[in-house]
Amino acid sequence: MKTIEQINEKIRNGSAVVFTAEEVSRMAETMTPAEIAEEVDVVTTGTFGPMCSSGAFINFGHYNPPIRMEEISLNDVPIFAGVAAVDAYIGATSESAFDETYGGAHIIEALIAGKDVKLKARAKGTDCYPTKEVQTVINKNTVNEFYLFNPRNAYQNYSVAVNSQKHSIYTYMGSLMPHMENATYSTSGELSPLLNDPELRTIGIGTRIFLGGTQGFVSWYGTQFNTQKPKNKYGIPTSNAATLAVIGNAKEMSTEYIRAAYFEKYGVSIFIGIGIPIPVLDEDVAKAVSIRNCQIETSVVDYGLEDKPVIGIVNYGELRSGTIRVQGKEIKTGSLSSLEKARKIAEELKKWIKNGEFLLSQPVEMMPKNSSVKGLEQRS
Amino acid sequence: MKKRFVFRFSPDTVKKPLMSYLVREFNIDVNIWNADISYGREGKLVVELEGDENSIEKGLAYARSIGVNCSPSIKELQFNREKCINCGSCTSVCFYGALQINQESWELNYDPEQCVVCGLCIKACPLQLFSISREEE
Repeated sequence: MKTIEQINEKIRNGSAVVFTAEEVSRMAETMTPAEIAEEVDVVTTGTFGPMCSSGAFINFGHYNPPIRMEEISLNDVPIFAGVAAVDAYIGATSESAFDETYGGAHIIEALIAGKDVKLKARAKGTDCYPTKEVQTVINKNTVNEFYLFNPRNAYQNYSVAVNSQKHSIYTYMGSLMPHMENATYSTSGELSPLLNDPELRTIGIGTRIFLGGTQGFVSWYGTQFNTQKPKNKYGIPTSNAATLAVIGNAKEMSTEYIRAAYFEKYGVSIFIGIGIPIPVLDEDVAKAVSIRNCQIETSVVDYGLEDKPVIGIVNYGELRSGTIRVQGKEIKTGSLSSLEKARKIAEELKKWIKNGEFLLSQPVEMMPKNSSVKGLEQRS
Repeated sequence: MKKRFVFRFSPDTVKKPLMSYLVREFNIDVNIWNADISYGREGKLVVELEGDENSIEKGLAYARSIGVNCSPSIKELQFNREKCINCGSCTSVCFYGALQINQESWELNYDPEQCVVCGLCIKACPLQLFSISREEE
């Protein structure tokens, strides 16, 4: 048994033993959980995938004479103005009035890159905020705060998408060819943060994480947080389950780890890079971080049908091989999240910890143990 | 030598069995990549010719001599490699093996030799890094 404080002491004196989740999965082929718990202090995870439920708060600073901004756009992308005079929220999926392939995600990426962005704001004008219109140019150095606050990121597992229909469909899971000719998936498997801590024993509110190239925090449980999903014999939920809300200073982030995206006929989204360190406190944690791709299963969902039925179960070893077999049919697979970037994130986080630049944090509060997801009913 | 060409036929030249002649007389292997052609009207063939350079030159000269316009096809996939995040979305719609993820490094490999310029990757790439170059007129 180790405590987070003991591990932090080792990080401070440079003696902490840190491996990525992939490295530990390989070690687990010859070592027992007890041996791993003895030898390893921290396991780093990583993911870099499209996470629509993301955005950034921004404070523009007060104009003179002041304006209570009620309608705001950045490069013609409408952003949420319903918070105080010069605070706003740039939703990643908000789209430009003139170009559906350009949206809030692109604004966030441009600001992170240090680029200028055109601000337009309107107001009705009040006694204390008399200005009715402002048009100017901002960048991350001219504004006060600019921080990501993403309501739902880092999904613990996600379903594989296929399409049984006669025509192609275009979804947030990418282009799905007819007659189940292809399948897309979006999780970094054995490197994925919440798949390495399936019970969320070590990850909670307040956990310090890698977010977009800088240090951020888990701020809350993510929206649609679900603990009720069926689990396989290794304790892994076999479809989208837990999620995280995360927060971090976008001014310090890098476009290497935050990238805008557009999914054909769906809309704008954003790739978010997240890495979470897992303290190897005991044998149970060691066992959890030893999980291998072939042990992580996920559901195959037919996006071509309205009720999106589950039509099979596959594992990440199969998905990564390039083909899966579902209902007797061999289907070509492609990933939406980048394993190459996820590896970079896990390696970067490992480096920070080894250099003593990143300390682990004890969660302030653990995640809910019983949480399910409601649908929206028609009521009157 | 293996190279792609565009053959343009007039309503008259479309009646001539050019491809079989190239195979038989010049020992050229012909692979038809795209065809928009029918009897009695203008048409276009995108073909890949394989054979020795001299034979292909002679074959092209013959095609021109009978009134078929032929030019090298430069219609090809343009890929902005620098901005690629190596996700792999494009590989799920590339059925010709031109776009593949390296199983070790998980980096995207693009092999223009395998590409048939079907264009499915253009819609599949969430970063919009693919486009098709214009064909030489």
